Amino acid sequence: MKILIIEDEKDLREVMTRSLEKERFVVETAVDYPSALQKINDYDYDCILLDIMLPGGSGLSILEELKKLRKRESVIIVSAKDSIEDKVTGLDLGADDYLAKPFHLAELHARVKSVIRRHQSDGDIKIEIENLIVYPDNHTVFINGEELKLNRKEFDLLYYFVTNPNRLINKTTLAESVWGDNIDQADSLDFIYSQVKNLRKKMKTAEAIPEIKAVYGFGYKLMTIPEA
Amino acid sequence: MKLIHHTLSKLSIVMIIILSIWAGFFYFSILDEILDETDDSLENYKNLIIQQVLRDTAALDNHNDLMSQYFIKEISEPQAVRYKERYFDSTRFYETEYEFDPVRVLKTAFRGQDKKFYELTVMISTLEQDDMIEAMLQWIVILYFTLLICILIVSEIVFKKSLAPFYKLLNWLNDFTLGGKNPPLENPTKVKEFRKLNETILKMTRRNEELYSQQKQFIENASHELQTPLAICRNKLELLAERPDCSEEQLQEIEDIHRNLGRIVKLNKSLLLLSRIENGQFHEVKEIELNPIIKELVEDFQEIYEHKNLQIEVEETAVCKVRMNESLANILVTNLLKNAMIHTPNEGSITIRIQSAGISFTNSTDGLTLDQNRLFTRFYQADNKKSESTGLGLAIVQSITKLYNFRITYSFDGKHHFNLRF
Repeated sequence: MKILIIEDEKDLREVMTRSLEKERFVVETAVDYPSALQKINDYDYDCILLDIMLPGGSGLSILEELKKLRKRESVIIVSAKDSIEDKVTGLDLGADDYLAKPFHLAELHARVKSVIRRHQSDGDIKIEIENLIVYPDNHTVFINGEELKLNRKEFDLLYYFVTNPNRLINKTTLAESVWGDNIDQADSLDFIYSQVKNLRKKMKTAEAIPEIKAVYGFGYKLMTIPEA
Repeated sequence: MKLIHHTLSKLSIVMIIILSIWAGFFYFSILDEILDETDDSLENYKNLIIQQVLRDTAALDNHNDLMSQYFIKEISEPQAVRYKERYFDSTRFYETEYEFDPVRVLKTAFRGQDKKFYELTVMISTLEQDDMIEAMLQWIVILYFTLLICILIVSEIVFKKSLAPFYKLLNWLNDFTLGGKNPPLENPTKVKEFRKLNETILKMTRRNEELYSQQKQFIENASHELQTPLAICRNKLELLAERPDCSEEQLQEIEDIHRNLGRIVKLNKSLLLLSRIENGQFHEVKEIELNPIIKELVEDFQEIYEHKNLQIEVEETAVCKVRMNESLANILVTNLLKNAMIHTPNEGSITIRIQSAGISFTNSTDGLTLDQNRLFTRFYQADNKKSESTGLGLAIVQSITKLYNFRITYSFDGKHHFNLRF
């Protein structure tokens, strides 16, 4: 899977690259408008992460260029503006998703995987980890072929874990990703603990091989292979 | 009061006074003229009679017909010397009509051919003259009102015609929204003052538009400049935490930094949101039903605050529909609900009452009443315990209510009540 990151900020570009490479993506980067234009002309990618404010031109023109080239790449706009107009314009121009800076890396992984999966659309969209299968579109989970009943929030949590396997996810990231903007720093995040506890119990009872492990004081990690 | 009504009412007061004075003056001067005319004809008549009597004593007989009559009576010399000619109004009985009719009388004295002194009384019926005065009065009244009404109608038409450019400008200005799509001002006029007004207002709106877009640009740039380094810090920390050589202690430290960074991110977002609301950057408006939004939020919040064991009750007496921006509607309700959630003590209760034109949030407390004047200001914290919240939630609520002319009030009766009226 090849990903193109179009971002002018060096540090951010690097940190995104490193994190996505950990997810076994092949990552290429472009630092400004002309180099981005050249890259999309010369190569094909599975997903493009596109900053809107670029030196030498607007990211939105790159979207238009992609349309002209009749390319079917998935595009996620990564913008610091977080304005509704930009979001609407971007999505109208054919972008698949919109991620506002500053984001969590785990959120980035989830979004990238989600748009790539949607784009492949070979009918049976699923995420498979050992004996655990998640169908994101109809919100169902199977373990050893048996359906695991989860409520809405438990499913969202699990989905977040399976898109970030073997990665350490902190509590704040989890809370913000699943409960959205309703969470803020004034809140105690203890509720995450009980929500994850319920999910772990259900997975354990169904004998799932992947396991959610708590990392004290920080957050959680989905271990795909049980520790020896 | 509309300008046209104001002007017309002033104008009509002046017109009524002027026309009344004019009508009165006109009436009395005409009346005077008519009386004068009568007296003149009495005088002529008298001269005629006296000439006739001097020529022919037979004329000394009293004369009487329908319109005029005279009587001649002999008087003594001293009486004649002291005699003063006088005119006066009187009545006279006419046998033919069997009624009293008004007459004008002239009494005078003269000396006849026979050297005797006589008193002459001449009378003219003024019946026709009274009819004339009556008709005149009637016409003056008719003319008075017709003139008044005509003047008012004409003034209104002229007023409306000549002030049309002014009203067009006023409507244009009223529909004008900063940062919105405004039609060009097409208001050609020959009046110099209106042209000047058009130019000045165009200049002003252009200047405002410029300032507005500059400010918008500044906010956007500032947020861009802040968000990117924040994103780098946050993501670097997240990568750092994944390093296998991190001890549990280090992880704890990283989590603390991450959490505080989150506060800055939230603060930055909230300040941005406040500026955007106050700049009126949320244009799109539609009809929104608040009931389902509230119910969904309550469900989410119940999970988040399950450790507090709160009793949350939603009382729906009606469907609450509001015309506003969708994201702002969500933010408005979320902030009020969140405020209640955070500030209710453990095991406390929250009641949300949804009515057709308002929503009230009531929550129990172990504290005292809040400072109404400062409650909705930025960074107001009632108690220092909640130092981790941004302190902007209620400020955002207030700026949204201001934007749409809603009302938010606070009252305290052992519980906190936040009352939102649309």
